[in-house]
Amino acid sequence: MKLTTLFDKGEFVITGEVGPIKGAIHRDKSIEPSCAIEALQLQQHVHAVNVTDNQSAVMRLGSLAASVRLKTNGIEPVYQLTCRDRNRLALQSDLLTAYSLGIDNVLLLTGDHIQLGDHKEAKPVFDLDSVQLIEMAKGLKRGYDISGNRIENYLDMAFGAVVNPNFDPIDLQVMKMKKKIDAGAQFFQTQAVYDVKMFEAFMNKAQQFNCPIQVGVVILKSPQMGRFMNKNVSGIHVPKDWIDEIGSVDKQDRKKKAAEMAGRFIEETKAMVQGVHIMPLGWTDIVPDILEHAHVN
Amino acid sequence: MHATIQKPINEIVRHIQPGERVFVVGCNNCAWKCHSGGEDETRMMAKRLSDRGIEVSGYTVPGPQGMSLCKLSHTRKVLMEEYADQVNASDSFLILGCGQGVHTVIDATDGGMVHPGCDTIFGGETVSDTEIEEFCSLCGDCIIEFTGGLCPMTLCAKQLLNGPCGGAENGHCEVDPDRPCGWILIYDRLKKLGRLDLLDPYQPAKNNSKWSRPRTLKVSPTEATFCSAGGSVTVSNQD
Repeated sequence: MKLTTLFDKGEFVITGEVGPIKGAIHRDKSIEPSCAIEALQLQQHVHAVNVTDNQSAVMRLGSLAASVRLKTNGIEPVYQLTCRDRNRLALQSDLLTAYSLGIDNVLLLTGDHIQLGDHKEAKPVFDLDSVQLIEMAKGLKRGYDISGNRIENYLDMAFGAVVNPNFDPIDLQVMKMKKKIDAGAQFFQTQAVYDVKMFEAFMNKAQQFNCPIQVGVVILKSPQMGRFMNKNVSGIHVPKDWIDEIGSVDKQDRKKKAAEMAGRFIEETKAMVQGVHIMPLGWTDIVPDILEHAHVN
Repeated sequence: MHATIQKPINEIVRHIQPGERVFVVGCNNCAWKCHSGGEDETRMMAKRLSDRGIEVSGYTVPGPQGMSLCKLSHTRKVLMEEYADQVNASDSFLILGCGQGVHTVIDATDGGMVHPGCDTIFGGETVSDTEIEEFCSLCGDCIIEFTGGLCPMTLCAKQLLNGPCGGAENGHCEVDPDRPCGWILIYDRLKKLGRLDLLDPYQPAKNNSKWSRPRTLKVSPTEATFCSAGGSVTVSNQD
């Protein structure tokens, strides 16, 4: 099912996220990879689950294989596809393959740079940027590849894109967001946001496009994680009051507190957006609590 | 200019065989500016090799200052006429210049054995006597008309053509926090120029066939022809 169907119906769309394992899926079908187990935990609480594509440029099981596994388990995947590791032939071929394997939603993005990952000596591809990737995907939907050749059995998937409300200057990020919409993006998931006021300022600029936006939430597990992200994860800023608040409780109470904080944030932002994208980073078990705190379940 | 940096001396020496007589050739243009192969460095290289027991048959930096080693006719004249005796007594040439210079010496010496003494690292601007910075990637399909003259193929680590990724933090690139985000540089410049409208058009996917290797340029006083896998393009400089 395409997420666009839900947005069209006015549903508040909730998505989760899992990262494929570093390794292959077991041939014994009774053994689920951890990403599929996490997705099963999320299943009853979200509309779909993103499957990351060599996230942070760390080599893992392919996003498509993991997406298909989720689909087989009855979970709607959002297949993530980045420009980092594939040229335009591979990107188009993978899109056609994904559709052929039953994938209905794809998130089209640039991808973290290879220098951030575990294969720093690899050749970064970036044959296309994310806007060009979306434009190319739109062509496949209309029956043409990027070179103008006709294709048979056009793909029909919902195209998602990403935007970072934390970006300064925000006008430059909004300019690119508009280009993505013009190219064919049908919904957006934002980078992780923690600052409601900053997000509101972004939404004041982004609302004009009338394109569904899911606010991005990364569960803050500990003060150490907040400081780590501020130091090492570009494009995300965890404010001091968040770090202080999660640090105000003992370790054993952190999950409860994290759920409360993320839920509160979603509640404060939900009126501005058409959905939420929760990135639990392994803490999938607290997603129900988060949604309860947010009053969106 | 072609920025070059000398290879470590141990690496250079490792590839020279026992008894091999080496003639050292520098470049009086780019390598001179990089201190990788000017007059001083070439003389010094001859000494450094001799000190390590290597037989140096001679050395030269085809001049005058500003002359490029990659100008074949000049290099051939210098090596095959002015230094004919030493060149004839040499088994190989160690070139302190860029990869183009290495090939020029092959051509100038009718196929002589060469050793690269430098790594050719990028095409750059000589910002000062001590700094060379890269602003162009030589892609053959220039779009800097839309970016205020700042090249996103070079200044953006991901070579994005339609704006920044989301990774910049405090104006700096996710790949190297000491380096500004190329797209923020472009944005700030166009804003200052009052031309942010230049960012609006969709930039289509790059024609990488123009970036195929090797490429050639045929030149004349009136027109030039650029040949790549993308085809042959002739442009007049007269109309």
